[in-house]
Amino acid sequence: MGGSVASVAGERTIETDFALIGHQESWRAAADVLAVLRGPERTPLPDDEIKDILPWIPPRPVCHVDIGSVAGAKARGLYIDSFIPPDRLEAAYVHENIARVRKAAACAIQAGAKIVSLGGFSSILIEGNFDQLSERSDTVFTTGNTLTVAFIVQGIQKMCALEGRNLRRSTLLIVGATGDVGSGCVRCLAPLVTRVLLSARRVERLRKLAAELQDDGVQVEIATDLQRFSAEADVVICAASLASPSLLLGRIAPDAIVCDAGYPKNLSPTSEMLDAKVFFGGLGQITGGMKFAPDFHGVLNRHPFPDVVHGCLLEGMALALEHRFEPFSQGRGFITPERVDEIETIAARHGIYLAPLYNADGSFEDGLDARWNGREDESMGERPSRTVESSY
Amino acid sequence: MEPLIDVNCSPMECTSLSRSAPIWQDILAQAMTGELLAAMNYTSLSEICDDPAEVADALEHSECERGHAAVFAAEGRKIGVEVCNNVDAKHWKRLRDAFLRCITERDFIGCLIVQEIMLESFAVASYSRVGNVGPGSLGETFARIAAEEGEHVDHAMAILRAERARDAQRFDDKVYRLHLDVMTTLAQMLAKECKDGHCEVCHASCVKPSLFEVSLSAAELRGASLQQYLKTLDMLGIPGEVTLAWVAQLPV
Repeated sequence: MGGSVASVAGERTIETDFALIGHQESWRAAADVLAVLRGPERTPLPDDEIKDILPWIPPRPVCHVDIGSVAGAKARGLYIDSFIPPDRLEAAYVHENIARVRKAAACAIQAGAKIVSLGGFSSILIEGNFDQLSERSDTVFTTGNTLTVAFIVQGIQKMCALEGRNLRRSTLLIVGATGDVGSGCVRCLAPLVTRVLLSARRVERLRKLAAELQDDGVQVEIATDLQRFSAEADVVICAASLASPSLLLGRIAPDAIVCDAGYPKNLSPTSEMLDAKVFFGGLGQITGGMKFAPDFHGVLNRHPFPDVVHGCLLEGMALALEHRFEPFSQGRGFITPERVDEIETIAARHGIYLAPLYNADGSFEDGLDARWNGREDESMGERPSRTVESSY
Repeated sequence: MEPLIDVNCSPMECTSLSRSAPIWQDILAQAMTGELLAAMNYTSLSEICDDPAEVADALEHSECERGHAAVFAAEGRKIGVEVCNNVDAKHWKRLRDAFLRCITERDFIGCLIVQEIMLESFAVASYSRVGNVGPGSLGETFARIAAEEGEHVDHAMAILRAERARDAQRFDDKVYRLHLDVMTTLAQMLAKECKDGHCEVCHASCVKPSLFEVSLSAAELRGASLQQYLKTLDMLGIPGEVTLAWVAQLPV
């Protein structure tokens, strides 16, 4: 370990292009992070000790992240954990958690990061409060929500193609429709479906969004209670800011396509959805390579495919590879189809594509190309097999 | 087990705190022992200082810590308990030995790291928590001494930052070496349960399982101490990802 002191201390002069601020969505994930830090020669901490210790850890960098672009660019970053305890995401802890995100942001600024992506609840806490971040000097912040929306939309289109569904004949339900990600998805997908059902907690925001869509000729229904919709949805996006997987969907078609885009996940493990095709949405894959030091592969990105990362974090990486150090996504409700197209194009230029679709039971797409960008027609289920490996 | 200083332990009438008095007795005993150890450390430090101003400073600190110990003893008397101390108790002795190794090497910076960064982080954090819940003057005393110990840390921080600026790698290596020695012992002291026998400071059985009765817990005291330690290392400029691994590797 003494050697690592020297090496890391010696690297302080190296530029930091980007920083990723995140937190662990479960105690299991937090335990795995601590296990890596303890090293293989020490026994992992018991669960009760982890729950006692983690809440006391101040926000701080956890590891370095080096990424590559298929176009040849490279960028260096830091993963900073706010160490928000997985069971303290509820509203009762909002002030404590905002303070943690602010401290994590201060770490990013201190490290000289040029752009910072806010992952998971970090962006929810800060999206309307960027002025609460520390003096920012040359560091810019992005919620990363635009690329998340891009990958959710692509995922829906891809899943429809895989299942042979015609999106244009679908009724789309968006849970968490008035949030930044939810409203972005609404704006992108509403013109592509027959009917839109919007659900959120605040009726005034729902009415405002519905009016915007109706002006564009979209057939819209709103409800704060999922049971109140008059029609069944056959395509569903869950983008609610829930502190734990607790959402029970009702009034959906038995074989609905369901995208769980929450972090933590939205859908309750006890929800029974018969033949619904549930997949985890908003994820992308960086094909130009990604390295962690120390090696947190599969720990910080707990996905069954290599180099899969949440879209919100990938947005900062893509912008760093593009040398566009700008606050691409900020505030709530400003994500438009044009901005989604723009970030998709930037990401694709550097080999950042929609991740293979999967859920807790496994992958949906043996035999499909990872480069699906959602822009092709519904016949793309014929694509050849391609395995994506890290090539950094 | 000879007390280092004589304390007038004449029993006084128990107040309404009587039910929790044995718990406060042990908390005060740990604090008093820590203060006396700090006093001994500063006295030892004065012996390796060349600059007369530094000698005077170390001796002044030593007196200050001895004063804190006496105040803790007095707080015990107020609630009708005798507060004992034992700087030879196993964990405290190991901490003293670690400090004395720095003295033997005439390592002034090492001494400051052990006393001001490691031991004082523990003191500031745990006294603050006790100060939050301690009744009346007992709580006020812990809070006041926590603030005074914090000022000691500020004083040392300027010296240590300047030292790190000269050679960060060498400095960080030294902190890590001392961390392995001192913080491992502190982590064992701060463990939720004393797994390797009696600590030799508590007057009867281990006080940790009873701390909840005075709105404290061993987990909270450990968490607050490690948090304070990490924040202090941050202030020194040691990379956060490095110190995170150090702390994650401590025994529990």
